[in-house]
Amino acid sequence: MSTDSQLKELALHDISVRFGGLTALDNVSLRVAPGRIVGVIGPNGAGKTTLFNVICGFVQPTSGSLTLDGRPWRPRPHHLSRLGIARTLQGVGQFAGMTVLENVMVGARHRHAESEALAALERCGVDRYASAYPGALPYAIRKRIELARALVAKPRILMLDEPAGGLDADEIAWLGALIKATGTTVLLVEHHMDLVMSVCDEILVLDFGKPIALGSPEEISADPKVTEAYLGAAA
Amino acid sequence: MTTIESRPETATKAPPGAKRRRRVHPVIVIALGAVLVVALTYVLPPFRNYQLATVGAYFCVTAGLTVLTGLNGQLSLGHGALMATGAYTLALAQNRWESLPLSFALAVLVTTGVGAVIGLAAARLRGPYLAGLTLAVAIVVPSVTSTFDETFNSDQGLSVFLEPPPEQYPMEQWQAWLCWAAALVVVLLLALLVRGRFGRDLRAVRDDETAAKLAGINIARTQVLAFVVSAACAGVAGALFAYLAQSVSPGAFPLTLSLFLLMAIVIGGLGSLFGALWGALLLVVLPALSQSVGEQTGSQRLEGNLALIVFGVVLVVVMLAAPGGLASIPSRISRLIRRNR
Ligand SMILES: Nc1ncnc2c1ncn2[C@@H]1O[C@H](COP(=O)(O)OP(=O)(O)O)[C@@H](O)[C@H]1O
Ligand SMILES: [Mg+2]
Repeated sequence: MSTDSQLKELALHDISVRFGGLTALDNVSLRVAPGRIVGVIGPNGAGKTTLFNVICGFVQPTSGSLTLDGRPWRPRPHHLSRLGIARTLQGVGQFAGMTVLENVMVGARHRHAESEALAALERCGVDRYASAYPGALPYAIRKRIELARALVAKPRILMLDEPAGGLDADEIAWLGALIKATGTTVLLVEHHMDLVMSVCDEILVLDFGKPIALGSPEEISADPKVTEAYLGAAA
Repeated sequence: MTTIESRPETATKAPPGAKRRRRVHPVIVIALGAVLVVALTYVLPPFRNYQLATVGAYFCVTAGLTVLTGLNGQLSLGHGALMATGAYTLALAQNRWESLPLSFALAVLVTTGVGAVIGLAAARLRGPYLAGLTLAVAIVVPSVTSTFDETFNSDQGLSVFLEPPPEQYPMEQWQAWLCWAAALVVVLLLALLVRGRFGRDLRAVRDDETAAKLAGINIARTQVLAFVVSAACAGVAGALFAYLAQSVSPGAFPLTLSLFLLMAIVIGGLGSLFGALWGALLLVVLPALSQSVGEQTGSQRLEGNLALIVFGVVLVVVMLAAPGGLASIPSRISRLIRRNR
């Protein structure tokens, strides 16, 4: 049993999500082993954020099930942090009326919230903005603050929804290094192909909610279905 | 741990100097406040002491309301009705058992319970629907007094039996002490409560519910707790009003009271306990001013409306001059000075 749960820390079994007539996810299965960096890619509207929303309990799957550490699991958003799962939002969901430091402290669920929040800000290179308010800061800085708030909880599973959006090449390189260095399980939704290809151990490709490929970066970039559905459309 | 080289970008945009400001501990502020109030009660004439006592009573409810509305983003038009609940409970308990501490405890307890019920419903509602619910409370609670008029004696209300204070102290001074003792305890507890994690949770829920959930915050529980805490404060205030007036009647807690309370905390500075103090002060000073103006012009019909107009004007002027309310003025000034140096 323990080897089984080690093999799949988090697993999705035949997940489907329908919004009225629209099928946002169509029989998606995914097994995520501890410490692996798993990318989820696909064109806009492919269902990537919906997949994250299912794992976070924001969206109830129409059918299918989830397991965490091999046990059946029905996620609830405010339980995630206690279970060691942290997620960043696609937009920057920040608390506008609180300082940057307080924003990150909200994510800290420990006694030493302040020192840990400062450490997380430092790790993301934005500790000098601790007493500023996020609304006035540039987008790239706010992205880092968002990352710091996810990291401060010391999650075992980190879910990043388009963390590279709006960042320049240098910042994306920094982000890639950070993701690799976390040592945790990472689920990464991202459009930036270079980043995905360079950091991920495994990639799931969605197209109109359907899983069309799953494999290593090499396998994915060689897969004609992917080139057709995603890379072809993007080119 | 692996360190990752971070690229300092737009470093010049960072605020200069210290990473964060250290605040004075609330206990110190409250202790200073207590000394100031006690000193004031020895120099003020009796009527002013009575007004001071009233400010203390208002401070309890404005402090609780500013935590609910300012920090947690829940608008309540029902706090006047919650005060009525506290006032009537005190009156009924006092006339039955004649023990002021017991009556106060019951008043707070009952109001907290009522607040919990409203809070549970409120946590499911947002924006105008929440305002509507609390408005309904504001209208229903006073009408309860006329429905069960054997207990509440309808529009006449109840008089409250009170022991006279120790004879070496004038009545008004004693009242000011009691009201401010209650107010300072309430505000100290609130200050301690909101400076830590609970305060951060309140504001996180106010600013972004989705992000707050992902940070592990139970939204509904936080909102209900905020309502309960705020209701307890309103209960204390209501009990103090019954004690001060030595009577309670539905007319003392009209819907306009709830409106005044909201305007007061906005003028003072939403979410700030100092702002709540400013608000409490205005709640006593502005009606007194409009009353004397009304008397001078010989128009008695105007009195009630005049207070509302004066409050409205002050609200507009303060919002134009200092959008953060009166409590934000010191930091605005210091920022101006720093910029011009
Ligand atoms: N809550 C929702 N209600 C209705 N439709 C939704 C909802 N969330 C997402 N969708 C739809 O589901 C599809 C997948 O969306 P999304 O998961 O956001 O795509 P991606 O993140 O891959 O760009 C889109 O067509 C989107 O409009
Ligand atoms: Mg998306």
